[in-house]
Amino acid sequence: MTEAAISVQGLRYSYGDLEAVKGISFDVAPGEILGFLGPNGAGKSTTIKMLTGQLPPSGGSATVLGYDVGTGSSQMQARIGVCFEEKNLYVTMSAKENLEFFASLYGIKNPDADGVLRRVGLADRATDRVKTFSKGMRQRMMISRAFINTPDVLFLDEPTDGLDPTTAAAIRTTIQEEADRGVAVLLTTHDMFEADQLSDRVAFINGGEIVALDTPENLKLAYGSRSVKVRLRDGDGVREENLPLDDGSASARLAELATSPALLTMHTEEATLEHIFIQLTGRGLAG
Amino acid sequence: MNRRVSRPAIVASIVRKDFTEFSRDLLYIFLSVLGLVLFAVTYYLVPDTVDETLTVGVHQTGLDELFDQLDASEADGLALVQYAGGDELAAAVHDGDVMVGLAFPEGFLEAATAGEQPTVTVYSDAAVPPEVTGAVQSMVREIAYALTGHGLPVTEPAEESIVLGIDRAGDQTSMRDLMLPMLVFFILMIETFALSSLIANEVLNRTVTAVLVTPARVSDFLTAKTIYGTLLTGGQAVLLLLVLQAFTLGNLGILLATVLLGAVMFTGIGMIAGSAGKDFFSTLFLTMAFVLPLMIPTFSVLFPGTAAGWVQAMPSYPIIDTLNEVLTYGAGWSDVVGSLGAALAWVTVIFVIGLLVLRRKVRSL
Repeated sequence: MTEAAISVQGLRYSYGDLEAVKGISFDVAPGEILGFLGPNGAGKSTTIKMLTGQLPPSGGSATVLGYDVGTGSSQMQARIGVCFEEKNLYVTMSAKENLEFFASLYGIKNPDADGVLRRVGLADRATDRVKTFSKGMRQRMMISRAFINTPDVLFLDEPTDGLDPTTAAAIRTTIQEEADRGVAVLLTTHDMFEADQLSDRVAFINGGEIVALDTPENLKLAYGSRSVKVRLRDGDGVREENLPLDDGSASARLAELATSPALLTMHTEEATLEHIFIQLTGRGLAG
Repeated sequence: MNRRVSRPAIVASIVRKDFTEFSRDLLYIFLSVLGLVLFAVTYYLVPDTVDETLTVGVHQTGLDELFDQLDASEADGLALVQYAGGDELAAAVHDGDVMVGLAFPEGFLEAATAGEQPTVTVYSDAAVPPEVTGAVQSMVREIAYALTGHGLPVTEPAEESIVLGIDRAGDQTSMRDLMLPMLVFFILMIETFALSSLIANEVLNRTVTAVLVTPARVSDFLTAKTIYGTLLTGGQAVLLLLVLQAFTLGNLGILLATVLLGAVMFTGIGMIAGSAGKDFFSTLFLTMAFVLPLMIPTFSVLFPGTAAGWVQAMPSYPIIDTLNEVLTYGAGWSDVVGSLGAALAWVTVIFVIGLLVLRRKVRSL
């Protein structure tokens, strides 16, 4: 059995009397992408802060690459990459200078800054100061910075936030490539499409607790219901019908509609991760 | 991939990055260069000599012999300039050609010897200290007694002048020399703004958070900021002292030690202001709020003997006092050891507070 890249057991953190993380447990294997989903204040950022050595856990235990995060091991931090939600770049320095500076903190003598910038489509802006970059370009810089030390574990907080669809798709491809080379990825996102597309497994976190953890497919099977949405011509207007597939009760009606001249469109419907989250927690992901 | 990176290498990287950021900030580059040039120019524009001669303008008729004798006998410290008319004399005083003017009326000699009270007009510019005018008025009375052939109405006591400390008669400290410690202190202060701004940016933009998820520790960050702040402020001060040719073999060690203490003190202040700043203007305001009161003791250097007890109790006083003693009066280690000790104590307190405040801020992000 492959040793987990991230292993979390009963992890807790309290801000004074407020318990932000209430004993969560999960593992992330090398090459796996775990989507970490939850609304603001659910405990996602606090968990990532503990796992990246920024906060000492109040209780429980966690290891990253075998290193105890509580001791804030420099060796662990040398092998992780972090993409923060806030664009915390040195804006008076160029893209290349930013990467070279961070590479020097990892002890990398001749970093391939140009190569990393090429991966995120910023090679032609390598010598430009970051303050001249658009929001999307800064986001791509954040991704490139997380890659500069060729990490074994990536913590990505909203990595495609603010990107146009084409660039976002390119970044998702890059993240998938990292996972394919064996990097464990903890991905925090509000984008359900992104989570569904990228994540091998998804953890729903709410109120400091993990309320569900499984593959997107299993979650949909466990908490969703299959149905077919049918649109029919009805006089001068259009009428919709939803037919459940799970109990077989709509088989006859489906067969009837399939040959009906009134039939306009017929689509299968499945539960989205957002619907499942709402079903589990009674609240949306955006809040 | 396992890599090992030494703590000094991490600190050096952060310091290099800080100087790169500083070099990209045109405002602080401008302020640094302006401060250096302005202070150097000011220093060289201020006179480096002190005129100890009292120049008195005189308008008189029939007293030539007396004033020739006075001019000859009081060659040291008194210069007499004769004017043909009262209006000319008044204009000369007004223009600053002479400090004080004495206009003796026609027939002064006859009137004085006859026991009358002739009126002598004393002209003085508004800027002339009243004690100088008073001394000249006393001189007029002595001249009157001399002309009438009488002695003074009192017996002159025997006088023995004892000057405590260095007798600077004929060797007064010039305004240029007096200003030097103040200029050095000001240049130390100026760079505090650049440091506090840099720290505030690190905290507000949370770039420090990105640094601290690498192998860099909080202690590396604090060490780097200490080195950067000390090099920035101390370097500027040393540069100014070099430009002003203030270093000698005798004072080199003391001056470097004093500048180092000043630089560390302002680094601590920069850390406090930078940690507390919410934006550019609040950081600027906070830095000024800490730094401006520390300027007060510098004025005691310009006006020796004026430092009140509370001024001497200020953290900046021992540093300014040491700079003054060394730069102005050529003091050695043994003369300033007390001031240096007090400076070290204050610097330690301020710097430790700065470190603790910044560490707390960074850990709270």
